[in-house]
Amino acid sequence: MKKSMYTVLTFVKINTKRFFRDRLAIFFSIGFPLVFLLVFGNIYGNTSNYSFRVAIINESNTSFAEQFTKSLKDSEIINVSEEITTIDSAKDKMSQSEIDATLLLPDNFGSIVDGDNLPSGEAEIIYTQNNQQSVQVLGGIIEAQFKEINAKFVQNITPFEVKLTQLNEKSLSAFDYTFAGLLGFSILAIGVFGPINVFPELKKMGILRRLSTTPLKVWQYFLSTMIGQAIIGMISLSLMFVVAIYFFDLKIVGNMFELAGFIILSIITILGIGLALGGWAKNERQVAPLSNIVTFPMMFLSGTFFPRFLMPEWLQNISSILPLTPVIDGIRLITTEGRNYIDIMPQLGLILVWMVIIYAIAFKVFRWE
Amino acid sequence: MNNVTVEVRNLKKRYDDKQAVDDVSFNVKKGEIFGILGPNGAGKTTTLEMIETLRPIDSGTVRIDGIDVTKNPQKVKYLIGVQPQSPTFQDKTRLTEVIEMFAAAYGEKVDEMSFLREVGLEEKANSYVENISGGQKQRLSIATALVHGPKVFFLDEPTTGLDPQARRNLWDLIEKIRSRGVSVIMTTHYMDEAEVLCDRIAIMDEGKIVAIDTPKNLIKQLLDRGFKKKKLVEQANLDDVFIDLTGRALRES
Repeated sequence: MKKSMYTVLTFVKINTKRFFRDRLAIFFSIGFPLVFLLVFGNIYGNTSNYSFRVAIINESNTSFAEQFTKSLKDSEIINVSEEITTIDSAKDKMSQSEIDATLLLPDNFGSIVDGDNLPSGEAEIIYTQNNQQSVQVLGGIIEAQFKEINAKFVQNITPFEVKLTQLNEKSLSAFDYTFAGLLGFSILAIGVFGPINVFPELKKMGILRRLSTTPLKVWQYFLSTMIGQAIIGMISLSLMFVVAIYFFDLKIVGNMFELAGFIILSIITILGIGLALGGWAKNERQVAPLSNIVTFPMMFLSGTFFPRFLMPEWLQNISSILPLTPVIDGIRLITTEGRNYIDIMPQLGLILVWMVIIYAIAFKVFRWE
Repeated sequence: MNNVTVEVRNLKKRYDDKQAVDDVSFNVKKGEIFGILGPNGAGKTTTLEMIETLRPIDSGTVRIDGIDVTKNPQKVKYLIGVQPQSPTFQDKTRLTEVIEMFAAAYGEKVDEMSFLREVGLEEKANSYVENISGGQKQRLSIATALVHGPKVFFLDEPTTGLDPQARRNLWDLIEKIRSRGVSVIMTTHYMDEAEVLCDRIAIMDEGKIVAIDTPKNLIKQLLDRGFKKKKLVEQANLDDVFIDLTGRALRES
């Protein structure tokens, strides 16, 4: 047994070294998922607090108008476009949907009219036909701002008020779903796309055949691949977590060790699919169609690129049993919802069942040449 | 019997409609270089593969050092070293690591350098396998087949595609391995190679062994049957001229 493990660990050691000497392999297993994460993170990352893109045309030179403009720019809800200063360019941008609306402050805005001692004025919101809904919200926000200012000038009693209470719980943002999905995609890449390319190549070169003349056993070869891919996977996914934490404000709520353990288990299970496909196929041509049949449903239905709750119920039911679905759900439940292994028993159980099935197949269909 | 390392009895293998190996029997003694010759498709490789445990045997028996190949393939694998026809290695691997990996496949840890030195590759120890020549790959492959001290060493057309210098170098290496008491079984298409190197040869055709003897005896038998070459054989051939003009030193950058 000690000798068997020496064999496995030597294979892991040398194959891992080989991996880090291959820049292309590093890029595709570690760099590529990071690029994916940055792209998708930027698409979904900022939608959690919705903001209006607005141009402000300030034609007034009163200090009130200046302060009002500044307070709008500081607002988190309103995103003021700085470079638009004329009404014509604002109209252009609106027709291109680059901004949602334009706020026009006329030249008498905020001036003190004779016979009065308070500044007054009327702001105009200009918008296009397809922005009616968002402008209603925007109008509400600006009206509320005016109310606040009015209240400062004219004291009166407000009999009814709405009190806002924020719950301490964060709801899941689109990014939380996207991130778990991207991790799932990364696991699929490391577990399946790697072996299905490498194994047929090794067979073609006769390397596996040469190994089969030695006492090396299939389980030793599988185990060394498993450990090696798990190491590379953990490095790749850790970097994804680092990027998500620093660039997209991801907060890991759950236990880190449980998360790591769950990810390793996931990589091993999904790798089994790659070992079965790559171990069975005699050449690349044989593996390509079958691997598409196996991986495409997981790629699109397991929640990698779009959350499963968007699917019709019957599709959700079908996709829930795909091997990658409990992986993605489990990672999200631990990471952003802080669940533990007992909470995610259904996911863990499903992964273990798949692991047994997949490896039973992988060992059965493996051929050295 | 105690001197016989490989014992092949009535070996048969059938592929669909073709009897690839048809009742093949031979013995290989300890420290003997045994050549299997024959045209393509004669069943040489299939015969080798059955002895090497790579292919199931239809009928007949193969014993290596007294151990039955069919009944105990795992044990036999510790006794044999196999040199494939065109050795390939995974790139980005150093020569020392190749040796280390193959030794590990047998659960052993060896001094990689001593094995590389033996095949004249100590200077290339830290190179990657993709940066060595074809002849060097052959020698590296031989080293990998010897890491566990096998009793039988198989070579499948070891010198195909090598230049005359590299061929001669490989012959010396095979002689050296044999001198340590390892039995060598090899196939080749080069008759000069078989004549120089092999103690005995078996000539196969259509799955059968048609002749088995020392090269000298086989030639004598032919002459005894009244065979005459049209032209008198020169005392030297073109190969000798080539080596005389270019020397025996290995050409590898």
